[in-house]
Amino acid sequence: MIARVDEHEDLRVRAREWIRAHHPGDPGWKLPQSALEVADDRQFRWLQDWQRKLYDAGFVGAEWPREFGGGGKPRGSQRVIDQELARGHAPFLLNLVALSWAGPVILRYGSESQKKRFLGPLLRCDEIWCQGFSEPGAGSDLASLRARAAKSGTDWVIDGHKVWTTLGRYADWCILLARTDEAAVKHAGISYFLAPMKVPGVEVLPLVKMTGEGGFNQVIWSQARIPSDSLIGREGQGWEIAMATLQFERGAAEGSAGGQGGGGGEQVAGLARLAQSLERDGRPALEDPVVRDRLTQFWIEETALRANAARGRVPGLVADRPEALPLQSKLASSEHGQALADFACELLGPAAGLWIGDPHVPLNAEWQRSYLNSFAMTIAGGTSEILRNILGERVLGQPKTR
Amino acid sequence: MNTQIRYDEEHALLRAEARRWLDERFPIARVRELAKSDSGEDPSDWAELAELGWLGLCVPEKFGGAGLGAVHLAVLMEETGRRLVPSPLLPSTLAALVLAQSGSEAQRERWLRPIAAGEVRAVLATGTDAVWGAERADALVTRRGDRFAIVAARAPGARIEPELVLDRTRRSARVSLDAVKLEADAFLPGGADEILARLTPWACLALAAEMAGGADALLQLTSAYTATREQFGKPIGSFQAVKHPLVNVLIGVEGLRSLVYTAATALDSGDSDAESLARMAKAKACDVYVFAASRAVQLHGGFGFTLDCEAHLYLKRAQTTRPAFGDAMSQRRWLAGRLLQT
Repeated sequence: MIARVDEHEDLRVRAREWIRAHHPGDPGWKLPQSALEVADDRQFRWLQDWQRKLYDAGFVGAEWPREFGGGGKPRGSQRVIDQELARGHAPFLLNLVALSWAGPVILRYGSESQKKRFLGPLLRCDEIWCQGFSEPGAGSDLASLRARAAKSGTDWVIDGHKVWTTLGRYADWCILLARTDEAAVKHAGISYFLAPMKVPGVEVLPLVKMTGEGGFNQVIWSQARIPSDSLIGREGQGWEIAMATLQFERGAAEGSAGGQGGGGGEQVAGLARLAQSLERDGRPALEDPVVRDRLTQFWIEETALRANAARGRVPGLVADRPEALPLQSKLASSEHGQALADFACELLGPAAGLWIGDPHVPLNAEWQRSYLNSFAMTIAGGTSEILRNILGERVLGQPKTR
Repeated sequence: MNTQIRYDEEHALLRAEARRWLDERFPIARVRELAKSDSGEDPSDWAELAELGWLGLCVPEKFGGAGLGAVHLAVLMEETGRRLVPSPLLPSTLAALVLAQSGSEAQRERWLRPIAAGEVRAVLATGTDAVWGAERADALVTRRGDRFAIVAARAPGARIEPELVLDRTRRSARVSLDAVKLEADAFLPGGADEILARLTPWACLALAAEMAGGADALLQLTSAYTATREQFGKPIGSFQAVKHPLVNVLIGVEGLRSLVYTAATALDSGDSDAESLARMAKAKACDVYVFAASRAVQLHGGFGFTLDCEAHLYLKRAQTTRPAFGDAMSQRRWLAGRLLQT
């Protein structure tokens, strides 16, 4: 027990020192706030380079098996590294989909050859992954998806229209859901593919977010041929693997190869710094009793979220409802982040209406961007509404909605 | 803010024992009976609580207690809160804590052993109104000017008048002890402010844990009802307008429990941010418990508004526990002073 704590402590110190020594600093041009808005090649290469350096230093995929390019370190190691990345204000890890959900899914469901082929390159950011789940007509009701995969000789031929495709423009591979059995009932006819993106018939069209930034995309698959070994799991097992993917995506299952840190009191501390720098009615905002009360509420909420993470690791304190904390973690933290960013914009007053490029815009519109981008978190990977249904049904035993 | 949680086999054992005993001892029908009775409690329960060692849970072993810490206290309070236990266990625990933390050696020797054994019932009185458990107490640990003193409840000049209360599972009284003549050995060493400063984080923790237990019980009560009550030919829990507020209660309760055990761990380790964490827990407890209770009444519909539904018992407990040692607003005012540097 004590030995394990010490082992993490060593790693923590090592990670902290390495990050301090190798932090790439401010590039002097606008960085995206997350992998969701990587829209130009300069940003892409800069972030790719950062993930590579971090991987080569042993800080990405720390717990994954060595034979697949991981670090083989004990459980809990990656969490320590991620905490230090957040604490050190390190840039985010570019290959988000790969590290946090495609990779863990391949580890769990992939064949030996799939694990050997894919895991190393994704850890090192040599190959980028995107996700082909949502469609224009299949968002929350994902199982109504219409993309098709038809057998043709030994290949699969894909036709379909996918949306919300983060990193689609740069991706080499896609975790793709498509219907392989039109006759089967809704969920049963879906299969899961590790599909190459750089094949004929795959067209990536940018979508523009409400921040004006690009970074996520639509992908049109038209008679795109992908090889037979692209299938992961069995034909028809796609829905099960998709649900496991969403558990990883929501942070409800452990296994991420890195970059899932944060939530370490960073947001509210930033908000307090903002309040310190602003005036309200001719006085420092931080002296306004209403502002102080609101800030303290956010502080309590953020502490509770971190305390949730700590309690989640204590089996005796989650025994009554083991699924509650993992299933609510994305819901609670995304709604907290959104409310906090909204309050920051309110504090900014009329300056909240200024945008990047204006000579007087505070902090290069960081809070305005945060607020607008926060809706990605309350929508992606299961909307807050869908997650409330899931929690109500799985944790509180309520009958299904529908 | 340091968020670590210590919770081991011993804590789990106390929880299992407490839950089993309390479930058996305090089914809701008996809680209602006791709430209707004049005294509001049954003396045999007190004797059993002493027997179980829970009256001296945080009393040092050398004074006849179990010598256990804040995590154990949180477990016991959470479990009693679930059952609305009609007994002055909480004010008695707080009185024992004051004596253990701040009493002289002689005072601890004289009072703690009989308190832990259930022979002397002492309760805490920080003010003159809403003093929990005062009517049937033998002694009151109370503020007297800028000191703290332990005062016999039946001393000449003591006036203890039962209040008519909203929450009949927790009785209280209006207390006036100013006319009681006190010997020097009745006064605890040190000033009242420092004694209260030592007690406050523990009191906030105990209250927050009790409130967490109550809120959790409400969540179970309400979700069991909405899962089976039918309207429009379906269980009402299938409607999102019912399901989603229940989940909001769940999220609140989960966060509250996490804060409670984080604060308890910090208190046991003597961390410098223990008081902040305990006050955060109390602040959140006030909001979560009242919210859980209000949703319980509302989601039980017409039945929820009746005396027959259990929800109101918790609602009243939530409303009357809220101000103890500071409601959410006053906790946040204190926390703002600590966390926000101008």
